[in-house]
Amino acid sequence: MQFRNLLKKELRELFTLQVIMSMLTSVVLLVLMGQMFGGAVDSAEEQSGAANIAVVDTSNPEFMNQVMSVVEQNLKVSKYNVTSDDYASELKRLEIDNLVVIPEGFAESILNGEPGKIDFISTVKVGGLTSSLSTITSSASISVISHVIQTMVLSGNYGLTETQINTLWNNVVAVEYATFDGKIVNASAEEITGNVMMQMLIAPLVIFFLLFMASQMIMTAISTEKIDKTLETLLSAPVSRLTLLFAKLLAAIIAALANAAAMTVGMFFYMDGLSGGIMGELTGTAGDAMSQLGLSLGVMDYILFGVQLFFTIAIGLGISLILGALATDIKSVQSLLMTMMMVILVPFAACLIADVNAMSPLFKTIMYLIPFTHSYMAIPNLMTGQMALFWFGLIYQIIFFAVVMYFAVKMFTSDKLFTMSFDFSNRRQRSDVRRQSGK
Amino acid sequence: MSHILECTGLTKRYPKRDVNAAEDITFSVNEGEIFAIIGPNGAGKTTTIRMIATLLQPTSGEAQIGGFSLVKEPEKIRKIITYLPDEAGAYKGMTGIHYLEFMASLFAENPKQLEGFVQRGEEICKLGDKLRDKIGSYSRGMIRKLLLARAVMTSPKLAIMDEATSGLDVINALEIRRMIKELAVSENMAFLLSSHNMLEIEYLADRVALITDGKISRVGTVTELKAEYNARNLEEVFEKAVSNNAIS
Ligand SMILES: Nc1ncnc2c1ncn2[C@@H]1O[C@H](COP(=O)(O)OP(=O)(O)O)[C@@H](O)[C@H]1O
Ligand SMILES: [Mg+2]
Repeated sequence: MQFRNLLKKELRELFTLQVIMSMLTSVVLLVLMGQMFGGAVDSAEEQSGAANIAVVDTSNPEFMNQVMSVVEQNLKVSKYNVTSDDYASELKRLEIDNLVVIPEGFAESILNGEPGKIDFISTVKVGGLTSSLSTITSSASISVISHVIQTMVLSGNYGLTETQINTLWNNVVAVEYATFDGKIVNASAEEITGNVMMQMLIAPLVIFFLLFMASQMIMTAISTEKIDKTLETLLSAPVSRLTLLFAKLLAAIIAALANAAAMTVGMFFYMDGLSGGIMGELTGTAGDAMSQLGLSLGVMDYILFGVQLFFTIAIGLGISLILGALATDIKSVQSLLMTMMMVILVPFAACLIADVNAMSPLFKTIMYLIPFTHSYMAIPNLMTGQMALFWFGLIYQIIFFAVVMYFAVKMFTSDKLFTMSFDFSNRRQRSDVRRQSGK
Repeated sequence: MSHILECTGLTKRYPKRDVNAAEDITFSVNEGEIFAIIGPNGAGKTTTIRMIATLLQPTSGEAQIGGFSLVKEPEKIRKIITYLPDEAGAYKGMTGIHYLEFMASLFAENPKQLEGFVQRGEEICKLGDKLRDKIGSYSRGMIRKLLLARAVMTSPKLAIMDEATSGLDVINALEIRRMIKELAVSENMAFLLSSHNMLEIEYLADRVALITDGKISRVGTVTELKAEYNARNLEEVFEKAVSNNAIS
């Protein structure tokens, strides 16, 4: 009985309206995220279901047909016709991401006992992690083809000598091409995608941690001041309210920048340590291929990114400052912090898992309304030269920043700090006390 | 005697509330006087005090503090008042002395004045070597003494203190009361206090205002009020004043 009452009391304390609200919010967010990413993964799976193959070779149609029919027994194949060897535009015309082309003279080479060349073209995907999946089935088809040819050559009568058959263990040479935005280079798209992902992941990760730490820091600081009433003391002192506000913001920005610097150094060493020095590798072949495809970042890109990073952090700090100042007790700080973390985490996860630009208009709009989405998208946008999107994001953030600052200034220069709060439970208590004592 | 504070009809209604938390608050405080607003919890003491401390903007009404308008010149008023909030804390990571220095720097116009403020603060709080310790290690009583010293070290014309002794043990409460009384006499400093503890105010305040449901029902010296209501102490005065009001 005692225990039940105690339990009831504890539960009532734990499940305040705010906690329930933030729980509901998380559920709604998770459901939305699930749908969003579910869609993205589905389409990736659909694409990866079949191998895209185009047979151009006419040197020995009978042999080729035989090969293909066996391949098709082992693998789901979508056949395509290519009409030119400008593979970049062919992919665009056929609206596919990747293609295995069996070029003219392939069968002839094989039957002459020479290795046949197969072209494997795939598009570098700059977006979510799921996009690189679609290339896998097609690249797998190359080894299937190779295997089929081996079996056929071994069992069939193609008039090959013993030595020729032995050399045909390696009968297929895959020539890899990577395309991006109409450009094509002789390199592995998988490798380039991997490198691009690596580069692109770091920036959002840094932004995410920075926002996370900065928000938490300033929110804890300001709410402690509010709860300890040191803020009240400061506000009654002969200091301009704007001076107070900007001292707080600037201190937080400095702390965030110190964090950023430390993190950048840490990231660099982390990256350098990864797989024997990615930084070194990037300057080599993959790096060359990336710049040929227009996928590398210039000095200007870094400057723009820096500018946007500044506004990102300023917005995060501004919102956290306003929210933190509304806190009236530790519990409200916690739920406010949770809410803020969600706002930072959701677009981060979204950008990581899916390509926001490719989402349905509704989700895209929702994501773009969250200012941090633009920060996470900045590097991909800069890398792929989608400058319009980048500028849109930056301008949106600047406007958002101005609005946040407007509210922060308004809050600090009025009495909103004392008349507004998210603390429902406490108010109810206060009016209860008043009702009892008044009568 | 001239007034350091003169409130006329100060009223505050919080957003989304259908009653005034403080209504038509009118009283004045003389220079060097200890004036106390007393009333039960939720009566509107903090609301009134926050208006006078320039934190809340009155919905209507006005006050003159040291000749400045509360509504029009709050920044001038902040130079001549100090405010000690109810249940206030201080920066736990700072040492006591660092806190005094920090707060003094907000009021001082030059380094010499700053030094003077801090020295006074050190003397008044009587914390001695403990001032070199982090505030996080202080007891409630020590914090209150530090904050009181902070509030008076700059010799404000009006020191505003919300529930200055609430939550303290008898010894600490007595000490704080004595400090206030001494300062008022020796420095001619005016104090605006609030308390829900009417007995302790009886020994401290020169004059009191009784507040219930956001309204002031009576203002007078403790002796006057006791005589008027034929009461033995302020608690009885309060009880009778409230029941009279309810009848009339
Ligand atoms: N920030 C606020 N928002 C809304 N109502 C408030 C707020 N602060 C106080 N009140 C209400 O105003 C009334 C007076 O409160 P307060 O001035 O704190 O009383 P006291 O200090 O005498 O205990 C109470 O009914 C309280 O619930
Ligand atoms: Mg109060």
